[in-house]
Amino acid sequence: MQHLASQNAPSPWVVVPHFIVGGLVWVLVTLLIITHPDSFTQHYFNPQLLSITHLLVLGWITMVIFGALYQLIPVVMEVKLYSEKLAMVSFASLVVGTLLLAISFWNFWLGISIFIAAFFLLTSVLVFAFNVYKSALKSEKESIEKKFIKTSIVWLVFTVVAGVTLAINLTQAFLSTPHIELLKLHANAGIVGWFIQLIIGISSRLIPMFMVTHNVDKTKLKTAHSLINTGLVLSILSLYLQWQAGVYLTVLMILSGIGFFLFFLRECYKKRIKKQLDIGMKQSVFSFAMLFFALFVVFFLLITTDLLSALTVRFSIALVSTLLIGFVTSLIMGQTYKTLPFIIWLHQYRGRIGKSDIPFPRELYSEKVSNLQLFFFALGFIIFFIGILALHELTITIGGLFLFISSVLYSYNTLKIVLHKAPDYE
Amino acid sequence: MSSQLTIQQVTTLLKQVIDPELMVNIVDLGLVYDVIIKEEKKAIQIVMTLTSSGCPLGDMIIQDITQVLGEQFKEYSTDVHLVWEPAWDPDMMTEEGKAALDGF
Repeated sequence: MQHLASQNAPSPWVVVPHFIVGGLVWVLVTLLIITHPDSFTQHYFNPQLLSITHLLVLGWITMVIFGALYQLIPVVMEVKLYSEKLAMVSFASLVVGTLLLAISFWNFWLGISIFIAAFFLLTSVLVFAFNVYKSALKSEKESIEKKFIKTSIVWLVFTVVAGVTLAINLTQAFLSTPHIELLKLHANAGIVGWFIQLIIGISSRLIPMFMVTHNVDKTKLKTAHSLINTGLVLSILSLYLQWQAGVYLTVLMILSGIGFFLFFLRECYKKRIKKQLDIGMKQSVFSFAMLFFALFVVFFLLITTDLLSALTVRFSIALVSTLLIGFVTSLIMGQTYKTLPFIIWLHQYRGRIGKSDIPFPRELYSEKVSNLQLFFFALGFIIFFIGILALHELTITIGGLFLFISSVLYSYNTLKIVLHKAPDYE
Repeated sequence: MSSQLTIQQVTTLLKQVIDPELMVNIVDLGLVYDVIIKEEKKAIQIVMTLTSSGCPLGDMIIQDITQVLGEQFKEYSTDVHLVWEPAWDPDMMTEEGKAALDGF
């Protein structure tokens, strides 16, 4: 029999917990924005912002990405996931590690608790990387999408190892480079190397599939891969060695790489057969517009301020917020509507086809709620962004409030999908 | 004596099988390449493809075809043969398929 992604799909109970926990952590993050707006108006190296950022990147974004990737490996690599048990080990370690790390940062406990958290996080990431690596070995199909995913996981491991090194350096300084510069190195590897590259890898496979686009030139993706990875390696060296010209050069390389990816998406959009966009794709288009916007913020940073100086603080927080919330978070929420309903639908209705009228996957959630969720998200993010740039706490709180409403609506729809039960036809 | 099954009858029934993502039936999407009826073996063979090789709905669509044909033509067995050559192209869609896709 032919390789079919649905035959290779893992049990929903490997994927679904990641979405549930991730959604709840996102609600928690928005609550922390509302209650602690001052953490966004100080220097970014403050305990509360470190805690909120790690909850966001590990407890929400990485959590959902891990879960989604277990479902998407069969689609992108056309193989079965190597081990579902290892996936659950990685999930449990990620939950424990993230919560412990967030609590440790919040209270600025730099002792044993941060190292226990680091141990769990390293375990989670290494187990995840091993699982994907073993799955990829079984895959005979070579593609640029697969290459992006594999490289992104290398950067994920690097990011976590760099994070652990930072934690050690914070307690017993042994590196000569200033700690803040090392933090930039860690963030750069995580945001560009892990998140953005993984998103490029997955979306270059899924977006043409969802929009029904064929014959798109993938040379742009290959160029993007070379530019981003060469840029990343050089940027790590430049940041470590404090070589400012190198930092400028590598930022331009990475931006050009992302630009090539956006051109690829533009071509997909233009050549699409499915003209009307559903709510999941509308949110995704919004998120890519946010990525485009982030490129302008970077250009502004490059032109107006010294990249290695403390003057960049508010713009750095605004930029990272645009990337992590404006871009990645909205993309995750949009793509949830393109993946989670199918996972539950396949599980609930397998073997029931033709016996009775069954709903379409899109009928498993409320479209009205998802439209409202997008509206409050866009409104909340714009206000939040202005609040950061203006260093105005009340504005940040108001933005956070709208983001909170959006996160609750998202969690409502996620639970509605997950708890959907097929009626008993007998 | 029962009358012989026609390709037209099978194709009409296959229009009930919908791609749940695109909300268009597989015939108008151009996914069905051939319908072979082997009267002597009482077998129906559907030669078809999917919009992409990683399509996560592949076996659901195949199951749907087997179910729909099996219920209507009980004395026939159904075999779905999936092929990737020629690869599916949007030009393979019927005018009805293109119009339906535009509507969603």
